[in-house]
Amino acid sequence: MNHLKASLLVGTAMAVAFTGSVVAQDVPREDTVIFDIDRTIRDPENFNPFTPGVKRQHGAHQTMWEPLFILNYESGEIEPWLATGFSSNDAQDEWTVTLRDGVTWSDGEAFNADDVIFSVQMALDNESLSEREPATIRAQVAGVEKVDDLTVTFTLNSSNPRFILENFSNRIFGSFLIMPEHVWTGEDPSTFAFNPPVGTGPYTLNSIATNRAIWDRNDDWWGAQSGFMDLPEPLRVIFLESGGEENRAQLMVSNQMDAAQAVTLGTFEAMGFQNDNIIAWFDDLPYAWPDPCARQMEFNTTVAPWDNADMRRAVEMIIDRNQIVNIAYEGTTQPSRSMFVQYGAMDPFIDAIEAAGHGFTADADVEAAQAIIEAAGYTLGSDGLYELNGEDLTANIHVNSASPEYTRTIDVIVEQLNRAGISARAVPVENSVFWGEVLPLGGYDMSYSWLSCGSVNEPWASMNRYTNATIAPIGERAPGFNNTGRWNTDATAAYTEIVQQMGTMAIGDPAIPAMVAEAHGYLADEVPFVPLVQAAKLLPFNTTYWTGWPTAENNYNHPAFWWGSAHQIIHNLERAQ
Amino acid sequence: MTDTTQSSNQTGPTVDSAAAGVVDTSMASGRFNRFDNPWLNPKLIWGVCILGGILLLGVIGQFIWNTELVFTGSTPLKLPPFGFENLRRQEGLAEFPLGTDGAGRDLLALLIVGTPNTLMIGAVASLIGMSTGIFLGFSAGFIGGRVDDVIRIFSDVMITIPPLLILVVFQSAFGDVSLFMMAVLIAGFMWQSPTRLIRAQVLSMRESGYVKMAQLSGASTMHIMFREMMPNLIPYLFGSFIANVTTAIVTAVGLEVLGLGPQRIPTLGRIIYDAINSGALIQNLWWWWGLPTALLAIMFIALLLVNLGLDEVSNPRLRKM
Repeated sequence: MNHLKASLLVGTAMAVAFTGSVVAQDVPREDTVIFDIDRTIRDPENFNPFTPGVKRQHGAHQTMWEPLFILNYESGEIEPWLATGFSSNDAQDEWTVTLRDGVTWSDGEAFNADDVIFSVQMALDNESLSEREPATIRAQVAGVEKVDDLTVTFTLNSSNPRFILENFSNRIFGSFLIMPEHVWTGEDPSTFAFNPPVGTGPYTLNSIATNRAIWDRNDDWWGAQSGFMDLPEPLRVIFLESGGEENRAQLMVSNQMDAAQAVTLGTFEAMGFQNDNIIAWFDDLPYAWPDPCARQMEFNTTVAPWDNADMRRAVEMIIDRNQIVNIAYEGTTQPSRSMFVQYGAMDPFIDAIEAAGHGFTADADVEAAQAIIEAAGYTLGSDGLYELNGEDLTANIHVNSASPEYTRTIDVIVEQLNRAGISARAVPVENSVFWGEVLPLGGYDMSYSWLSCGSVNEPWASMNRYTNATIAPIGERAPGFNNTGRWNTDATAAYTEIVQQMGTMAIGDPAIPAMVAEAHGYLADEVPFVPLVQAAKLLPFNTTYWTGWPTAENNYNHPAFWWGSAHQIIHNLERAQ
Repeated sequence: MTDTTQSSNQTGPTVDSAAAGVVDTSMASGRFNRFDNPWLNPKLIWGVCILGGILLLGVIGQFIWNTELVFTGSTPLKLPPFGFENLRRQEGLAEFPLGTDGAGRDLLALLIVGTPNTLMIGAVASLIGMSTGIFLGFSAGFIGGRVDDVIRIFSDVMITIPPLLILVVFQSAFGDVSLFMMAVLIAGFMWQSPTRLIRAQVLSMRESGYVKMAQLSGASTMHIMFREMMPNLIPYLFGSFIANVTTAIVTAVGLEVLGLGPQRIPTLGRIIYDAINSGALIQNLWWWWGLPTALLAIMFIALLLVNLGLDEVSNPRLRKM
């Protein structure tokens, strides 16, 4: 249904986008860059990034709001943007950030320490801001102080060597966004719509609807005036909802889109047959960029029979990760060996986990799994499904219907579970409902997600998401999407203790790998979630109008253009003609 | 038969031109057809044969083909039909003569299992809808009064509701539905027109002599409705049934193509949904969406032929003069 609706919308969207642009100001196609968004903008008039419902990857945090820092995935450096640097005391519980001089908001007001303090204080004071970034700030920061107009000091609740990395570097998707104090003062942050929005970025909002957002270059951008950076070349940036894979491919092939969300291998190959200008991260197989959010299947550990760790382990054993790789990904990714992303920097931790025997194997062991299910009292019925007291063993798996990557993975798992005797079915859910309600409120038996996402070069960020520190009752929002499965047993407590201790240790402490292995042992034992496969994002870029896209050769940073780090992509684009 | 043909043969040579003879012959045999068995008209025969063939494909196919191949991951991905090449320059294999889809399912197996399923939904939905329609239509037309008012208003209101809209909501709420459940849901929108049309027919029949006679001889209402009047409507009901099967299939396929049908049970609509969803058009995997679409087209043509044929049975004026 989404796709049909979307394909109908695309036509109208293109028409509206371009007629709209003609009316507003005539920007030629050669000066416009068009990005794909894979979701409907549910509440386009709202620009409050702290309230539930994701509304910023439509260009808001790629063009309008700028981050303090950007983590460079390729070099590992934290590169300064609105800030110029950071430092900490020896105990790493007090961090000082220095801001760049000469930054102004698009309405002319100066950007300074007051804005930072105001925004952080707002997150600290308002429990109702349950989105990931304000929730993380609230969990970590005890107080924030102004040293001078360009210097801010954060006092933390406990030592945290990753404070900047986690909160301000766009490590995964986004970072804590600084809001203009002069606009937000006196507003209720949980209901304020912040429209029209104001940012420091080189683009300002032209218009927005549920299926597209148009941003026009602000030639008075502070960065060009202060000599920080030249103005980006595109005069206009459009974020357009393409709908399904087919639409995405057609728009790219016909040069009506410059960067598309992930497609499957077959579609990418077909696009290449029809348009020589379509490129991806790698020139050759596997083409795809390994996204840091490894895919997994989460259990709601409060719902029978999945509150039984043995049953969860049985499901884990039934899942054949190789088959997911071969069918859902056509070989463009790898099975997950642990909860972590398999980047080089993570190898010591993953190796330690495997050496301790707490990893996950790629192959299935259906017989052992069936023995576990039978031990739990189930008998195999004549229809090939397990039953207990006359009721079939069922598994409803909620999956975000936004991408075939997600649904295809779950289709494979549904098949595997059914063959092993569990009556599984997929429950496809629209994107905003999935992230807005199903996941955070715990309204599922099982769900497909990537909620252990966080670690890139150190293990704590991912592990910290499954502690018992932030367990909300079912029906209330899990803060920051942490532990949405409400895993809360003695093992969770033991796990939490190790992870919390790890959190106070410096990055690179030699004792950490062994601790990671021990903590991961609890995950492997109780399986609050099943790590499935690594994520591979096959993102097609079109070089017809714009060059300078991020690739393995031109690797100024990763290619995730829906992340806050995409400022760098837009600044690197060059007009092709 | 022989008599007329002979006479045409005899008169034929006497006419000057050969063309006139041809016209004469067809006229003569056409005229004769009027007295032939109306159930043997060519449209009906063709339609039934095609439908039978499609059903046979499903019935015999289940025995000679491995239907386990309809499950995800049982074959290599995206192989073309035997004798063709896909974009990756892979040749089709005789093992999978109609090719495979993007999730590793054999297309022949999918069609063998999916086609009868799709027809079944249509038939069951239509059967339930028609039965309801017949019952309500006769009750309204024959009993009249309050019963008529209630039924008439209810069906008039229901007929204005666009079925697909409601069904989409229903199906999303139910999540994964069984084939039968889907048929029942669709049947909920299949009874209104038969009700109205049958009511109209019954209203006119109610005044005819044989009904009056039956009433006078003390036959019960049920007896008059279903034993005296209904047989007169049989050809019409058949035609209407077939038309409803077509509508039900269109509705079912519409829902399936939106991804709202049963998940692990193959249907033609579901195959098309998977194909669209996986970018089969741009990848030129024509067999994936093309074969089920072609089969649906053939099915609709067959149903249309049957419908036209039945029309001729129930309405002699439609037969060729």
